[in-house]
Amino acid sequence: MLSRIAESLFWIGRYVERADDTARILDVHTQRLVEDPWIDERRACSNLLALMGSPTPEAEADTERVLATLAFDRTSPSSIVGALSAARENARGAREVLSAEIWESLNVTHNALPQQRTMARRYGPHSLFRFVRERSAMVFGLADATMSRDESWLFLILGRSLERVDMTSRILSTRVLAGDAAPSWTLVLRSTGAYEPYLRTYRGMVNSSRAAEFLLLDRLFPRSVFAALEQAEACLAELERSTVRDAARIGVTGEAHRIVGRARTMLEFMGTPELLAQLPARLEDLQRTCSAASAAVTHRFFTEQAPQVWVPEEAG
Amino acid sequence: MADLFDGYPLGEVWDEMFGGVAQPRAAYAGLFASLQPMSGEELAARADLLSQTYRDAGVTFAHAGEEQPFPLDIVPRVIGAGEWAVIERGLEQRVLALEAFLADVYGAGQVFTDRIVPRSVITTSAHFHRQAHGLVPPNGVRVHVSGIDLVRDEAGDFRVLEDNLRSPSGVSYVITNRAAMSQVLPELFADHRIQPVADYPTKLLAALKASAPSNVADPTVVVLTPGVYNSAYFEHALLARQMGVELVEGRDLVCAGNQVSMRTTDGQQRVDVIYRRIDDEFLDPVHFRPDSVIGCAGVINAARAGRVTIANAVGNGVADDKLLYTWVPDLIRYYLGEEPVLANADTYRLDERDTVEWVLESLDQLVLKPVDGSGGKGIVIGPRADEETLSDLAVKVRATPRDWIAQKPIGLSTCPTLVGGRIAPRHVDLRPFAVNDGSKVWVLPGGLTRVALPEGELVVNSSQGGGSKDTWVISPPREASDTDEPDLTRIEFSAADLPDDPPGQDPGPLNDTVVGQSQQQQQSASVQGPGASSRALGGGEVLPLAPLDPRKLEPSLRARPAC
Amino acid sequence: MSPQTQSQTQEPQVRTAPHRWRLQVVHRTRFHYTGPVRSSYNEARLTPENSNRQTTLRSRVEIEPAATAYAYRDYWGSTVTAFDLHSPHSELVVTGTSTVEAGPDLAGHDRVGWTSLAAREVREQFGELLTPTPLTAMDDEVVATARDAVGNAKPHQAGALVCRFVGEHMEYLSGATNVKTNAMQAWTRGLGVCQDISHVTVGLLRAIGLPARYVSGYLHPAPRAGIGEPVTGESHAWVEWWDGGWNGFDPTNSVEIGTRHVTLGRGRDYGDVPPFKGLFSGPRSEGHTVTVEVTRLA
Repeated sequence: MLSRIAESLFWIGRYVERADDTARILDVHTQRLVEDPWIDERRACSNLLALMGSPTPEAEADTERVLATLAFDRTSPSSIVGALSAARENARGAREVLSAEIWESLNVTHNALPQQRTMARRYGPHSLFRFVRERSAMVFGLADATMSRDESWLFLILGRSLERVDMTSRILSTRVLAGDAAPSWTLVLRSTGAYEPYLRTYRGMVNSSRAAEFLLLDRLFPRSVFAALEQAEACLAELERSTVRDAARIGVTGEAHRIVGRARTMLEFMGTPELLAQLPARLEDLQRTCSAASAAVTHRFFTEQAPQVWVPEEAG
Repeated sequence: MADLFDGYPLGEVWDEMFGGVAQPRAAYAGLFASLQPMSGEELAARADLLSQTYRDAGVTFAHAGEEQPFPLDIVPRVIGAGEWAVIERGLEQRVLALEAFLADVYGAGQVFTDRIVPRSVITTSAHFHRQAHGLVPPNGVRVHVSGIDLVRDEAGDFRVLEDNLRSPSGVSYVITNRAAMSQVLPELFADHRIQPVADYPTKLLAALKASAPSNVADPTVVVLTPGVYNSAYFEHALLARQMGVELVEGRDLVCAGNQVSMRTTDGQQRVDVIYRRIDDEFLDPVHFRPDSVIGCAGVINAARAGRVTIANAVGNGVADDKLLYTWVPDLIRYYLGEEPVLANADTYRLDERDTVEWVLESLDQLVLKPVDGSGGKGIVIGPRADEETLSDLAVKVRATPRDWIAQKPIGLSTCPTLVGGRIAPRHVDLRPFAVNDGSKVWVLPGGLTRVALPEGELVVNSSQGGGSKDTWVISPPREASDTDEPDLTRIEFSAADLPDDPPGQDPGPLNDTVVGQSQQQQQSASVQGPGASSRALGGGEVLPLAPLDPRKLEPSLRARPAC
Repeated sequence: MSPQTQSQTQEPQVRTAPHRWRLQVVHRTRFHYTGPVRSSYNEARLTPENSNRQTTLRSRVEIEPAATAYAYRDYWGSTVTAFDLHSPHSELVVTGTSTVEAGPDLAGHDRVGWTSLAAREVREQFGELLTPTPLTAMDDEVVATARDAVGNAKPHQAGALVCRFVGEHMEYLSGATNVKTNAMQAWTRGLGVCQDISHVTVGLLRAIGLPARYVSGYLHPAPRAGIGEPVTGESHAWVEWWDGGWNGFDPTNSVEIGTRHVTLGRGRDYGDVPPFKGLFSGPRSEGHTVTVEVTRLA
């Protein structure tokens, strides 16, 4: 498939997942501000912004700022609106490999954003978050139901998985690094959609090390870091198998595969106590892993060259 | 309830639907009968649904930099089988003559030696590309796709207004219009035998493959688009998708040693035919604008070397020049020895002093068109222009008469159109699409009817914010020779082939029956006699439910409360 | 000893017609870049033509770094060598080496008068060579002066008079202009190279009604050149006009076209026959150097 299209699919996967995860995080965050009477709003907002990659001084950080930056900023691909627009923009250029339904779903989502924004301003942002979660589920659901399991699918899911690793580790960081302004573990679990699966798995009170373990290492919960890494690895293995003609006998051939595999084995074979003891460093590693893997995928499969600018030249 | 067509005014121009007040023409009889009982509100409601369908599917046209839905009017335009046969013949003839002319222009130039057309018409045309001289396409076809704009004059005759031989757009709307209409007004389709338009991508792909370099067994075709911001991007994507080929941008292509390839995740893959939807000037920075970033460097020489086919061919614009248009009837006589089937609009070349003077005196009664303009740009309709426009025009025409042609205005036909909940007449034109595969010129039945939505507006062009109509060509009765070649692996059967006892669908685990029973337990305990309860769950025994055949199970369950 | 003189000694000694010279031209263009160029597409017009006055015995274009070349004839009849490079390179050397026999065009033609030249058929046939181009257009005022200089002369003499008129008003100065300088700019300064002087001449010839074309080629600088002596030459340009047949003249040197002129190609102006034209993508160009070496072989 065309490198440019593969790149678009990869980023559609990343952007839609990012919008979904961001909506979940913000939903929990705004709810917490309403429900928790002792919360220091500015501090919580400042922490959240920092962990999402937009550091803001405490004095300026408030809910409005959080929403403006992480939900409504049309120009930033880190905000919900920005990510969904970017996903749709990518889909526009990859329309002929996406199923018509997926394109339509992204397009309808994009077209509804201005109205959702107005509603969010008027009645509170919860409806927007819900809308975004539903639309993301629809996009991936349609992908699951209508896309062939060829390269296009693999790139889409690879993008989603890497983004998920990144976002889940960021959510964990909000708990681990924020000290007394941190959200409770229950909230952290809820913001990844893991609360109910956690309860069903451990049948009991939320306990910090178990919650962290669940989000990091659970093999069966699809939003855990481990599960997402495993899925990314599977996609990469499949992509390499279909693109490498000569049988590779030594190790794995792709740099991205190596990076992801290393992160996965680190989680798999490092004992839980040890892992939890160095959690901040490990979480940072995971976020760096995602960037490195993404760069390696770009280098390996996508257009490496910037668009060519031609310089004319004449000689007599 | 008011009749939908009550008060529909008939003017001096030809109306597509009505020959007289409330007298639909033959081809429209069925449509009229179906629409008439509807109320304006109902039709408007369906039209809303139609535009919603379009918005969701992203059927758009970029106009003035903004992506807008392309309005589709809900009242179709109908063309009878007889009329259509004339159009088909006329277009085939025109395409063949223009193909011969292009081969001549970029080859021997016999038409100039024989003084049919002055050579200066070509050498002064901005679209004559010397870079394409001697570039011979593998199967001789240069006009793979053409869109020839027709209008119907006051007498009801179709006339050619303009030839488009470069990258005529609009065919995607023909396909999507049909799909949307059949969803929103299915009952109209039931009463008509309308020739399908969905074949277009198949025919186009076949023509493109037929044009591939001759030594290629299974040619790879791509559609080359300028990118998502192009006004016709929707069309490029739709055609690529429906042909099942890659939609590439210039940066996806690389040409090395006259071999064009596309960059894929699996390395570079050879490309044999490029259906390009970008202008000549941007196609190859080596030969045209060096600042083009949407083209592919080296592609012209690759085509010259016969390693890749560019469709439509480079330099076709020289034959759809509005000045050359005036010679097309002569070209048909010269190359084909036939009389033109479809007439041109009455057109005057400004090459003689007397004609120029006469045109300058009559500007207020003529339509002046810039030779180089497309998309309705720069056209001045004399009878509607104000003094200032006309005096400006006179200055321009006097300065460069070669840049203009003059036409007698044609009273474009009107067609009933839904405007603000009412049916009103609006001017329409028609752009049929022809595909030349080298052995036959195939004309897509119907084409794009464009409608000028503002009242009285005469310039009907999608780039000037017009709308469109689904265009129906009514099928003639099927002739024996008309059938396609026999399909040897036919796998269609009749109802007689159905099995006597078709297998039913698996019912799933029978949770419902347990729920049903437990509810019935309560009901039977309270309402019915004690017998029911002892039968259902006698002695705490679990019923062996799962393996039962549902068809047998259901009646017994239903029967239970009665026991 | 350069490789060219080596190959020259192996050349069989064949006697040429007395009015012809056998010439070898080595035209080398060297492009320098500030860093590696990733890819480039190029067209060279370095192959001499075959005509009444010139026979090309052999001609080849060498490219360094190596590339596969593709040759074709363009609209104006020039042989074009096209090639592209895709491996990084910070220098590109294109060398055209040709051996030709050249001399004056001795085949005469019937000359026509102004009435025939004004006939519609002639104006149609030579439309492109009668229309000014951006590089050759001359102001009305200059055209009027040139017309005065021509007076009532017949077309053939008129062509020569225009050439002389330009020769009297313009001085050859190397480096005074560049490839983009147009005729009026050069005329106004009264200075230019062969390209500018030819553009002005072609522009004026057309303006007075003579179909005219721009010719690109080489000139052996020494009229009394010794055989086997390599001399530094230059790309050159001159003009041709039509008066029933084509006549050539070199307005820069005020000489007829003869044994010292090697023709590459012709067109409306320089833009139709550039010896080298290309595109590259990568770092900045540091410019190029051109050397032309001409040797009279016989």
